[in-house]
Amino acid sequence: MAPPLETGSSTQNELEQDLARLIVESLRLEVLPASIDPSAALFGEGLGLDSIDMLEIALALSKRYGVELRSENRAALASLRALTAHIAQHRTR
Amino acid sequence: MSTGWRAQPERGSRRLIQVMTWITLRLGRSVTRWFLYPICLYFLVFSGGTQRISREYLQRILKRPPGWKDVFRHYHAFASTIHDRVYLLSGRHRYFDIRMEGASALHAVLAQKRGCILLGSHLGSFEVLRAHGLFDQQLPITVIMHEAAASNLNAVLHSLHPDIRERIIPPGTPDTMLAVKERLDRGEMVGILGDRVFGGEKGITCDFLGKPRSFPEGPFLLAALLQVPVVLFFGLYQGGRQYEIHFEPLADGIHLDRGRRSDSLRPWVERYVSRVEHYCRLYPYNWFNFYDHSDDARASHTVV
Repeated sequence: MAPPLETGSSTQNELEQDLARLIVESLRLEVLPASIDPSAALFGEGLGLDSIDMLEIALALSKRYGVELRSENRAALASLRALTAHIAQHRTR
Repeated sequence: MSTGWRAQPERGSRRLIQVMTWITLRLGRSVTRWFLYPICLYFLVFSGGTQRISREYLQRILKRPPGWKDVFRHYHAFASTIHDRVYLLSGRHRYFDIRMEGASALHAVLAQKRGCILLGSHLGSFEVLRAHGLFDQQLPITVIMHEAAASNLNAVLHSLHPDIRERIIPPGTPDTMLAVKERLDRGEMVGILGDRVFGGEKGITCDFLGKPRSFPEGPFLLAALLQVPVVLFFGLYQGGRQYEIHFEPLADGIHLDRGRRSDSLRPWVERYVSRVEHYCRLYPYNWFNFYDHSDDARASHTVV
């Protein structure tokens, strides 16, 4: 159920950048937001996040974009790209 | 690799556990309880590693060198609680004499409809509490635990209760804590055992019975992030068919200092540990954390 992305790819990249920044800030990661590979796994092996980190991301996303991530949205938690697509589709602000 | 280590040695025993469970239910508790003596004796002779952990713990809690009778008693208490899980999970919890202490404090917390984290330990029986929650539906408890795949014992025991899977959240998946949040948002309870650190999990080292030991900060961080209260529970086995469940409110809300997280969590972990120690002293043979911290690295890569 990959949500269709809008065609203007520059805005997509922008949102990916915003999300990367939000992730790095809310988890106080010691990496540059720009260095996060959008297709790499956020959880475990990739960025090395655990499930409490994922919860913190979800809380931050809900505050910023009004999107409540639920456990059924597992696919959206896979990577920065998947997460961005989910937010782009469901954001209310 | 770690999953292989966990699964391999146990694989052959599932059939055996099924047979034993069947016998346990057919012959009844008073008959099959006699089987626990030869079983404990067997483990007394053949379980070197576990016995070392048991003796080391007993030495510290009893403040004297433990004899084989102490180790046997320790094993027997442990075996009794596992044996009783068969009856508890198959709906025979009324057979037991279960006393509750502090239940009104728990109900007061639940009345706030904020949900609550029920924080337990490997002291005593967790099943006695879960059975209460499962069968008396006004106490819906979901637990964070490894599902059947990780343990043949749990696989067989959980098959005794058809709905139990809905009440288990496996740890170490990206959506684990989102699932936890959903239960708490509904005002429900989520049970966590807070005295074992898995592989990559962040721990806080505290003094436990005179020796440093690492305890997970996860449950406390979770409570802080979601602003939910934490209630401690201890399902203590008192011998015979008697259990006593203690509830104690620990925190109404945990405040997190940004940037100094571990510092703000430490006092709560210490408070928790001191309560575990308190009940260890009251019921020394109820400590079932037969697990060596030096095994940490190979125990599991699970992250909570």
